[in-house]
Amino acid sequence: MSVHDEIRQFIIDNFLMGQDSDSLKDDNSFLEEGVIDSTGVLELVGFLEENYEIKVEDEELIPENLDSIKNICAYLELKLSN
Amino acid sequence: MTLIDLFKSSVNRFPDNVAVKDRHHSLTYKELQSLADGLTTTLIDAGLVHGDRVGLLVDSSAQYVVAYLGILQAGCVAIPLNTDNSQRNLEFVLQQCGVKYLIGQSRYLSRYQLWSLDDISIICSDCSDVVNKGDEGPGRDFVRWEQAIEKSPDLDFPPNLSSADLACILFTSGTTGEPKGVMLSHGNLVANTRSIISYLHLKETDSVMAVLPFFYSYGSSLLHTHLAVGGTVHIEGQFVYPNKALERMAKERITGFAGVPSTFALLLHRSNFKKMEWPHLRYVTQAGGAMAPSLAKRLGDVLLDSDIYIMYGQTEATARLSYLPPDRFVDKLDSIGKAIPGVELRVVDEKGHQVIPGQIGEIIAKGENIMQGYWGQPEETANVLRDGWLYTGDLARVDEEGYIYIESRKSDMIKSGAHRISPKEIEEVLATWPGVHEVAVTGCPDPILGEAIWAFVVPEGNQALDHKAIIRHCRDNLASFKVPQRLIELIELPKTTSGKIKKTFLQGAGVQIRLKAEG
Repeated sequence: MSVHDEIRQFIIDNFLMGQDSDSLKDDNSFLEEGVIDSTGVLELVGFLEENYEIKVEDEELIPENLDSIKNICAYLELKLSN
Repeated sequence: MTLIDLFKSSVNRFPDNVAVKDRHHSLTYKELQSLADGLTTTLIDAGLVHGDRVGLLVDSSAQYVVAYLGILQAGCVAIPLNTDNSQRNLEFVLQQCGVKYLIGQSRYLSRYQLWSLDDISIICSDCSDVVNKGDEGPGRDFVRWEQAIEKSPDLDFPPNLSSADLACILFTSGTTGEPKGVMLSHGNLVANTRSIISYLHLKETDSVMAVLPFFYSYGSSLLHTHLAVGGTVHIEGQFVYPNKALERMAKERITGFAGVPSTFALLLHRSNFKKMEWPHLRYVTQAGGAMAPSLAKRLGDVLLDSDIYIMYGQTEATARLSYLPPDRFVDKLDSIGKAIPGVELRVVDEKGHQVIPGQIGEIIAKGENIMQGYWGQPEETANVLRDGWLYTGDLARVDEEGYIYIESRKSDMIKSGAHRISPKEIEEVLATWPGVHEVAVTGCPDPILGEAIWAFVVPEGNQALDHKAIIRHCRDNLASFKVPQRLIELIELPKTTSGKIKKTFLQGAGVQIRLKAEG
């Protein structure tokens, strides 16, 4: 499974709660779509840190890094390349 | 005096002050009044009369505030609904209250399948693209928000509203698992609002960052108090990205901030809060459960020049019952302070006698802010409203100076984040899963949430339980904040000789498991 697919699966399993997962596009904002809450963001951070062995810094907890599947993939790519 | 009178006074005194501002909209008092007038006219023209209930299923936003004021101004009763909910729960509330009109976002109307409720008229607040009765629409008639607020105001309203009239019904988790509707009159709201304004010294130059949902009493009290003084409510709906809210707070020179313990845990542990400077932040308030003294101390270390108010209250008391004056924050760190103006608080033993300092008793409260009762639940009401006093169910002691310290709650309600959660509802859902013999749900300490939900299950015979499937089952049947964070299998549940489950023992076991996992 690619990183993209892993992220997508995590979001579907944990936040979509049985809703139509096909409608979630890669650039949909989690915030605008009401997909995620503040606890959910921490769960997402925990998942990224554990699975990809990275440290998400406090200042990186921003929508530009975490608010869509596309943003997460780009953020991860940058973190892993460093 | 009604909440609408307080609001109109601000409109007259400060028409051009910004009343509410969310991520997309900014409304002055004059503009807010005009939009609310439009909605009021729509509701009255639709035949709604004094006392009719109107549901509100909208995210905290400027739109929410327009809708809330429009409903109250029409003489109707607002039912703010938790947007993170379950279909079962929402249908129960709508049906129990006899809701005639529902103002909702299409996202929630679809998610909870509320379009199919034929006997409720709907105003859809974000349906400008949805086709009425079209192939891709909800297959029923509804009124668009844009239409609902554009009506010219009818000069005859508001209908003769009085302080005794019901203003809203706020739903809280009931100990039996079914939600309880707390009925609050305009008099209740006005009394509590005035009291909070006086001890926080709020005025028209104040602005607050509202990260707490308006469907809870703490969030709605921010709205009431600021609209009453002509101040500004900055709305940061869900507080998903704390750094974004902090940037706004600094940029807008916000003077006040309110949070529950988990809000401050998030700020102190996972944000830039402690690295920033807060010269404009006059005060912060904390309520919604006890904050760990270590967390409170860290907050004090960061906010050296801001007043910190530790507060205590209940929805049944409109919102607020007590506060700890900021100048006692250091030496009375774990106290909830004393009664707010206009409220009498006592700590009494089982015979109703006030306890002596150091002795534990139940907190009871009296004042104009105490609710009218639970909607349609006279027995539940009689249990907590006795001889003019509200029995809070919270056990506490007082010190020699009269400061109150909470010791524990009588009920086993879980406090997680901003939510009060009944374990019973979760236990009922878990018990319906095939292969689950017995279940007990309890709150275990969590560094961010305050308490996390842990479910202890006993399988039937030697059946293997599919934990992932059980959690999915919970997600399908419960609001997301009620889904257990941990599922632990036991051979049997610890019980007293009378057969009652020892939840404190399970909480202790939870702490041990957590400590072990953290190494």
